[in-house]
Amino acid sequence: MSPPRAQASRPPLVALAAAALLAAISGCGGERPRPLLALNRQLAGEDSSREPALAGRWLALISTREGRDRVQLVDVERNAQLPLPGLNRPDAQLLSVSVDLAGERLALVRQLEGRTELVLYQRSQGSLRRLPISPTGVPRRVQLRADGRQLAVEVSRNGLWQIDLLTLP
Amino acid sequence: MAARLASLRGLSVLLAALVLSGCDLGASRRAPDVGPGGGNRIDPALSGDGRLLASVLERDGQGRVIVQQQPGGGLRPLRLRRRQPHGSPSLSWNGRYLAVLVQEGAQRRAVIEDRLRGRLLRLPLPPGSQPERLSLASDGTRLAVQLLRNGRRQVEVFDLRGLLERDLPPGQAVLGGGAGQP
Repeated sequence: MSPPRAQASRPPLVALAAAALLAAISGCGGERPRPLLALNRQLAGEDSSREPALAGRWLALISTREGRDRVQLVDVERNAQLPLPGLNRPDAQLLSVSVDLAGERLALVRQLEGRTELVLYQRSQGSLRRLPISPTGVPRRVQLRADGRQLAVEVSRNGLWQIDLLTLP
Repeated sequence: MAARLASLRGLSVLLAALVLSGCDLGASRRAPDVGPGGGNRIDPALSGDGRLLASVLERDGQGRVIVQQQPGGGLRPLRLRRRQPHGSPSLSWNGRYLAVLVQEGAQRRAVIEDRLRGRLLRLPLPPGSQPERLSLASDGTRLAVQLLRNGRRQVEVFDLRGLLERDLPPGQAVLGGGAGQP
């Protein structure tokens, strides 16, 4: 009577071993990143989107529609886009954007009238100001610290890319 | 004489107001160098608490991610050394998690190094797409990825809860998770 029982228990063992082998090969323990479907569908409505920056519930990114770049700020938890009055200009090409944890400050690098500049936008005031880079250099990518009081920016000087840390008031 | 004194007083008040108003847009400094030889430093990423700076150091045509303490610039150890070039690093709040792009053969892949437990997590992404940029939420709950698919760039956001423990500022409680809660 015992041999049939041993045979009956073999298939589950084989299946278990196969599952373990599959998990080992795929390099994950079972959990996978889950796409935020509603948000991703919304973002797919643009011609393209790039340079994402997450901070808490905020996602800042650059989207392009009909050849024009614009910064978008999205509340990921409500799946809602926030207005950014005074920030986007049709003649600007955007290179990088970053947002702080409060969703209040956005730092961006843009090309405008032939010049590449680093600017800081404060959402509650709708204000925009240029941040000087010293010694002079050409900025490319920027990232704000979570509290919005410091930023790290990639700067080209004398043919070399460097990183500047800028403390903000 | 009185008029001159008044104008001097006015000037000093103006100067004091400018200083107090924070007219200076902030002090700038270079990120600390990493040993001799120079090379490009690109893709800066600060941890949420600002104590760590990740970047990619380009030397001899290869890009290697490094993590430095701030200030000071001391290098922090990483498991991730091979699979170069690395790109687009992103740190969680205390720097426990480092999300970064690596090269595996012809494939660009997104991985997360758990610096506390010393393990590397590979993130399976939608088939037919190639990751180009990453941004990890500072608490480690979400990851935004810029994907190139059929010649089109598109940002997608992924929920990482269940994959990573949260990396929060000290003293901040984890909310939710109780009975019937998300």
